[in-house]
Amino acid sequence: MSDYSIWVCEYSYVKNYHKSGVLYGAHNQGFVKLPYCYVVIKGRDHVAMVDVGYSDKDYGKVLGDRFGVENWRNPTTVLAEIGVKPEEVDTCFITHAHFDHFGNVEDFPNAKFYIQEREIAKWVWAMSLPDRLRWMMVAVDPGDIVRGADLARQKRLVTVNGAVSDVLPGIDLHAADDSHTWGSMWVTVRNDGKTASQDSWVLAGDLVYVFENIHGPGAAVDEKEVYTPVGLAVGSQANLVLATEAMMKQVNYDSHRVIPVHEERLRDTFPSRITREGLRITEICLADGETSKVSA
Amino acid sequence: MTMQQRVLFDRLTTVHRPDCAFFADGPLPVPVAGPDDLAPQLGSDAVARYAEACRPVFEDLRRVIGQLAGLMILAQLTRSSEVAGLDELASCRRRWAEAGERIEALTGPDPLAPHRAQIVAAHAFSGLALRTFSELRPRADNEAAFDTISRHVRRAYAHLSAATAEKAGLAMVDLSHACCSCGR
Repeated sequence: MSDYSIWVCEYSYVKNYHKSGVLYGAHNQGFVKLPYCYVVIKGRDHVAMVDVGYSDKDYGKVLGDRFGVENWRNPTTVLAEIGVKPEEVDTCFITHAHFDHFGNVEDFPNAKFYIQEREIAKWVWAMSLPDRLRWMMVAVDPGDIVRGADLARQKRLVTVNGAVSDVLPGIDLHAADDSHTWGSMWVTVRNDGKTASQDSWVLAGDLVYVFENIHGPGAAVDEKEVYTPVGLAVGSQANLVLATEAMMKQVNYDSHRVIPVHEERLRDTFPSRITREGLRITEICLADGETSKVSA
Repeated sequence: MTMQQRVLFDRLTTVHRPDCAFFADGPLPVPVAGPDDLAPQLGSDAVARYAEACRPVFEDLRRVIGQLAGLMILAQLTRSSEVAGLDELASCRRRWAEAGERIEALTGPDPLAPHRAQIVAAHAFSGLALRTFSELRPRADNEAAFDTISRHVRRAYAHLSAATAEKAGLAMVDLSHACCSCGR
């Protein structure tokens, strides 16, 4: 029995992202494609998302011109591929406040947004620091926080403090403080609804970018594989490794069940298709009675 | 600074009423020609001097606006007026005051005046939001104050957005370590 369907939906991508950004210590190892994606979770009379992408209206030209971000498509177009409309989304889990995850709340007018309280509080703190410490506030658009304030006024923003169980039935939030960001979180879907689930999926946000963050090269420490954290962290790589262990534990160390949304090779490990727009839909699992959105 | 600019500056920085009609009648927060657009026409030196002086102001305001929005979220969601006593709010006030001093010294060729006006308006509205924090009261719902803060912060952000000029370094998001191909 599966309660939820889960799809990873690509909405844009960078063709050539430096590998050291996704994998700590991978200097001079070239570039990888970095898809920008969000996740849709559908079932139990809910449509939820993990992150909401960014708005091309606000950032598109900058990203396109300066950083090679390509082929942005709006949520209406992207979600239509799985038969969902943005206005049907009732819940959004924001893994962290970087612009490419929290930058498009306006396209989901009926959703309630969940974010870690610490993520807001520590960004406020970081913005209060002297200029010489500015590194600690990269990749955050104050506009996203302003829009967060609007959500708060509309009673559509919920800040959570640490782990929360059953935010929706069988869906839990977990904090990873001082890791990729100050108050990052991941989302766990217990798809059989059981407390000690045997069918859990972890939606990792940016705590895991690519498969190598879990199956990293271990030769330097005489291991076949070790967790190797992502390259970008305002907290610490140590906390990223600890978060990886916690996520892996939740899925009984079946790494297939930890979903890195920036991983292009998801297409090789889950049923996927490329849309007319040249973007990928990856089907992680299907709820009972749901039809595939990737097979003909 | 011209006399007219001085008068404008003084009015914007000393009028404290959050419902002051002057601000509502101020420049619309719409994109204006900025350093990027005017450099070919005005010459790169004059524009570069303006952009260089404008960058720290822009950065100050970017942060002030982000802080105010974040503090408002925390105040509302925790139903706490103690936010008004936080060090972060004090730091925000200092940065806002410094921005005001920098704006006073910010001069440029006349065609850049509309750009400067957007910066001035962003400063003014963030000041109004900042001052409204002092209206938060313990054990009150403070809904009216939150509405006011939210409105002013949104307007301040709109003015600052209107003054964005990427090539001049006046950008809303610092992407130097972002999830994009910044290493290229």
